Amino acid sequence: MRRLLTGNAAAAWGARLARADYVPAFPITPQTEIIELLAQWFDSGELRGRLTLLESEHSMLTAAAAAAATGVRVFTATSSQGLLYAMEMLYTVPGWRAPFVLVNVSRGLASPITLESDHNDVLAARDSGFLQFHCASCQEVVDSVLLAYRLAEDPRVRLPAIVNLDGFHLSFTREPVDLPTAEAAAAFLPPFESHGIGFRASRPVSQAVAVLGGSAYSYFRYETHLAAEQALAAHGAIAAEFAQRFGRPHEAVERYRSDDAEIVFFMIGAFATKAMDAVDRLREAGVAAGLVRPRLLRPYPAADLQRALAGRRAVAVIDQNLSVGKGGVLHGELASVLYGQPDAPLLASYVGGLGGRDISAEEFFQIARELQDAVLAGRVPPPRLLYTAGELRQMRNLQAIAAAPGIAGARA
Amino acid sequence: MNPALRRMKDLPSTHLLGAGSAMCAGCGGLLALHEIYDLLGARTVFVNAASCMTLLASYPFTPFRGSWLYTAMASAPAGAQGVRDALDILIGQGRLPPEEDLTAVALTGDGAATGIGLSATSGAIDRGLDFIYLCYDNEGYGNTGQQSSPATPLGARTATSGGAHGHAASKKDLFAIWVAHRPVYAATVVGADPLDLARKIDKARALTGPRLIHALAPCPPGWSFDPAEAVEIGRLAVKTGVWPLKEYVDGKVVHTHVPHPRLPVEEYLKRQGRFRHLFEPERDVQVLARIQSQVDAYWAEVCA
Amino acid sequence: MYRIRLHGRGGQGIKTGSRILGSAFFGAGFEVQDAPVYGAERRGASMAAHVRAARSPIRERGVITRPDLVALADETLLQVPAANVLSGVGPDSVLLLHGNGDAETWRARLAFSGTVVVLPAAGEHAEAELGGARCAGAAARLAGVISRQQLMAAIAQELASLGPSATETTTAQALAAYDAVARHAGVLRESRPAAAVAFAAPEWIDLPLESARIAAPDIFAAATSVEMRTGLWRTMRPEIDYAHCNRCAWICSTLCPDSAIRVLADRSPEIDLEHCKGCMICVSVCPPHAIRALPERAARARELAAAP
Repeated sequence: MRRLLTGNAAAAWGARLARADYVPAFPITPQTEIIELLAQWFDSGELRGRLTLLESEHSMLTAAAAAAATGVRVFTATSSQGLLYAMEMLYTVPGWRAPFVLVNVSRGLASPITLESDHNDVLAARDSGFLQFHCASCQEVVDSVLLAYRLAEDPRVRLPAIVNLDGFHLSFTREPVDLPTAEAAAAFLPPFESHGIGFRASRPVSQAVAVLGGSAYSYFRYETHLAAEQALAAHGAIAAEFAQRFGRPHEAVERYRSDDAEIVFFMIGAFATKAMDAVDRLREAGVAAGLVRPRLLRPYPAADLQRALAGRRAVAVIDQNLSVGKGGVLHGELASVLYGQPDAPLLASYVGGLGGRDISAEEFFQIARELQDAVLAGRVPPPRLLYTAGELRQMRNLQAIAAAPGIAGARA
Repeated sequence: MNPALRRMKDLPSTHLLGAGSAMCAGCGGLLALHEIYDLLGARTVFVNAASCMTLLASYPFTPFRGSWLYTAMASAPAGAQGVRDALDILIGQGRLPPEEDLTAVALTGDGAATGIGLSATSGAIDRGLDFIYLCYDNEGYGNTGQQSSPATPLGARTATSGGAHGHAASKKDLFAIWVAHRPVYAATVVGADPLDLARKIDKARALTGPRLIHALAPCPPGWSFDPAEAVEIGRLAVKTGVWPLKEYVDGKVVHTHVPHPRLPVEEYLKRQGRFRHLFEPERDVQVLARIQSQVDAYWAEVCA
Repeated sequence: MYRIRLHGRGGQGIKTGSRILGSAFFGAGFEVQDAPVYGAERRGASMAAHVRAARSPIRERGVITRPDLVALADETLLQVPAANVLSGVGPDSVLLLHGNGDAETWRARLAFSGTVVVLPAAGEHAEAELGGARCAGAAARLAGVISRQQLMAAIAQELASLGPSATETTTAQALAAYDAVARHAGVLRESRPAAAVAFAAPEWIDLPLESARIAAPDIFAAATSVEMRTGLWRTMRPEIDYAHCNRCAWICSTLCPDSAIRVLADRSPEIDLEHCKGCMICVSVCPPHAIRALPERAARARELAAAP
């Protein structure tokens, strides 16, 4: 049944359809609607189990993983500063090999503090051991939560997963969402199978024990990496089953008009749909443009990306994040898998959409133009921040009011 | 009081906690833990914060006969919350037989209990979490070499308070912090008084809700005394009134032992290298007097 | 380069010894690295420290896998496999043993192909905390490139914060050791680094993906810690005089932090020497004083003598 849902509601519905037993929670804008809805459903009996409000995200993540390690299906959600506050546990709990799903509603990081979206928060969790799904629509949010549970709980994988949606652009935006029925969801995602994990009186276990020495440490750490790599193949089969049941393919890498494209936009998240629009306009203008969007960022679908981009002439990586002192994170990630590939495209770097800043259609068009020039010249332009003269003029006005020293018009 | 716990002979004569753990010889924290574990039993899951006791278990060796989960310094109570909630859900929904249930025990040092983990602790008590919080208090960050923690007492030398007068602040009162939260139970214990400890564990075990067991843990390397003296130091802490043995139950604080006559605090202090600077090369009259007067003031209030 | 590994127990001053030796080499004009091997150091537990010294800047790091000198402050550690005292030694290595016995006997007993130098460990526990410093003093002489003055200066520097009496005692012990091995001066030679030709290739494997159940640091059995022979930490041993034990029930057993005293059916306590760390709490709490402390070395010697 199609209905209008915000991305937050879609995330909550994902947890509901997954029949999450336990939701440890802590509120943060723009995630709150998720936990409020779930709280209502636990209160009304539409969800069985328990929602516990913790006193911080650090505790929330600890409780989530401890409950998963006790053998229940766990869902939780946070955003931005909250994700970073939980960072110690975010890196800790994948090694417990107790699967659960964490929704992150992406929001730019302080400083300066802001409420709007970019992807630096979730990319700070990039190397944690959580699997990462990145959504471009509210539909994808609910679908990805179900997919994430299947993948995280797969016996070959057993790692927690993050499902990421952009604050505001998805979290507070209603879109038509085709909700799976409870029965169909249950058929796709069977009840949680603990595979023998859990604390039981009859079965003593000491979990998450310290190791002394780099050799044992290497073994346990690398096993999580091997499991994450294994998740790539597992995801293919799970996504195929999902497509068969629900008619919506969610491949690890989405290719939009890219197979015959000369130039390609490469991005994750909600603004990727804007790039799709730009692709259509560019095609109408005679430019062979396309979009490649990884939905799965961890494990990184390297082979799929190599295939999707082989033979393309130039790629613009549009990073809604900033690795300070380096540039766009996804640009470096993509370069690492394209380097030395035969037929690899030129790779240009754009940083845009920081802190919710829009990326206009014209900016996509201009990026396409620069890529075309790059193809002719055989080299790419230097990395660019999407930022206009008008924005800087506006900034100057703000600085003047702030009495920023040395700014014309400043009062002091 | 459990009539079965009147004399030392009533205490368990076989011990549950496995030998061979990596705690130091003469560890007052391990002493308390081993006595407590005998009474709580193996139907427990200890949720451990980062502390000396991180290394109780190191792969593949564990001293526990029940279960254990290592978390992080700040969030052991939250780990206990997750385990408790999950067990409640599983048992409540009939997915786990009740006989598989376990008692959740957060195990932390004083650094976690009084500092970095305090908000997680406060949150857990506030939520009415059904758990036992066991803090072994060696009055400093022992595992990292005994730096000052909020639980370090006035005048003690630590790796970060090496000045002429030692630690300048007074010990943070964890028991009072708990009592302010109105938990179902809170008690101070010391391994050197196993009978008092046993009665309190016995009482705590029978209750439901947040329960504090705050154990003074004389620490041979951190406090600088011979390991053989660990029990004597613990006894002196009680006899001098430095470590009051008490419990909070039914909304009231009751002292389970009122030292009488109360020995001068110096009897306790002079046995420990961390206070040696208060006695030599010359007596630090002021700090010694302050320590004594704090203890006197405490007991004056208790006995008023 | 000199590659020196010091082994001993927590509390024997191994780290201090490595720093004295490091400073002594430095004072003699060498480039130096010294470092303790980081682990769960506990008093009595085995530990190690490294000293490298060379006439050019040192680029090696970390564990010394092929030592030119192993200086062992406590020869009882040879019975502790986990201490890995003799790891990586070869025919060119020197083993400095702080203990009793003669070099040839040790050499034969250990099937050691290199040189053994025994530094007699006189006076039982007065010098327990000085084993590291004594080894440093002896090692300085074995290298033959460090003068008495340089050794003394190094000690003064390293122990400055502990006051003059500690410096004095340590200096006396280290110099005594320095003199005691005088006839072996120069036996320690600098060795060359591993050659990049004809080396043994590491046996790398592709780590297989394994079930999460075994690939997580989880222990599925109870009380496996009993496999850890913490009794080897002990330098003093408690011994029960059953004639005086009044079978009080279990004061010693309850107050043993390590669960290392059990009570038998006849209410006699029995000490688990495999795990007793030698804290001696039982000795100090026993009401009739029926438990006495005796040095572990003496107890072992007595056991050896009694063995058929």
